[in-house]
Amino acid sequence: MEKPKFVYVTHINTTPEKLWDALTNPEFTQQYWGGRRVQSDWTVGASIKHLKADGAVELRGEVLQAEPPRLLSYTFLTASGDRVPDEKSTRVTFEITTAFGVTKLTIVHDGFEPDSKLVFEITNGWQAILSSLKTLLETGAPLPFNYKC
Amino acid sequence: MNTKPKFVYSTLIATTPEKLWAALTDPEFTAQYWGGTRLESDWTAGSRIVFRWQGKIVHDDTILKSEPPRLLSYTFHPLHMEELRSEPPSRVTFEIEEFKGQSTRQGPVVKLTVTHEDFPADSKIFPMISNGWPDILSSLKTLLETGRAIEFAKGT
Repeated sequence: MEKPKFVYVTHINTTPEKLWDALTNPEFTQQYWGGRRVQSDWTVGASIKHLKADGAVELRGEVLQAEPPRLLSYTFLTASGDRVPDEKSTRVTFEITTAFGVTKLTIVHDGFEPDSKLVFEITNGWQAILSSLKTLLETGAPLPFNYKC
Repeated sequence: MNTKPKFVYSTLIATTPEKLWAALTDPEFTAQYWGGTRLESDWTAGSRIVFRWQGKIVHDDTILKSEPPRLLSYTFHPLHMEELRSEPPSRVTFEIEEFKGQSTRQGPVVKLTVTHEDFPADSKIFPMISNGWPDILSSLKTLLETGRAIEFAKGT
């Protein structure tokens, strides 16, 4: 049985540097990532945390690859453990390229178990997060919704 | 892998279902974000739909479902490349729904889901549309939200 994975491509009217900043700056992520501050020093081996508005750690992981402004990869584990107790750590990779003069973001989230339920949850989550990221970079404001991850 | 290929892509757009429907069905609009392609039809089930690019008909297809502003489905059969013409028509479906997490106070957000399926297992068209839809749908979102489509540079 093939292991499920999530792959998504979006083109954004911005520069690779601004997109990198949007993915790695907690002041920026909290605007489009359901209020989450994504914190790390973004060096290989460093820890990464997703903090909710109340400061609680929701997700934690380890930076696997960091080549600004082109490649970022980290492991992704739910910190609470109670929602998806059987899931092992998964991995998300952001690849930033320039295609036809436009910045292209490719997201791959893999490492799910063959019968993973989490992959369906993250599919809805990424679609909302990445849609709002694109809107924020292109218009200066995120999508007007209160997405609850 | 012997499962039939299927492409599914969702994007959230700050617009109304009616404006998104117009963007999918008005040739003046499609030409802006679909690489200059005009989609022409009367948009009723059973009707013909043609894709016209630089004056030439590059797709000649049939509307399968049309329920404005929620559901649109048509056959998809590229004619402009010899090696693609022999492949049987596939099917693309556009579903438009209001996004549940939206804050009505700040304006509408709709979720567009594009499902493209019914390809043969060894389809040559499937890898092309898998690259093409993210381009087109990214530009559609930009056009509806900013008033201007993405300007992809010419070339390969």
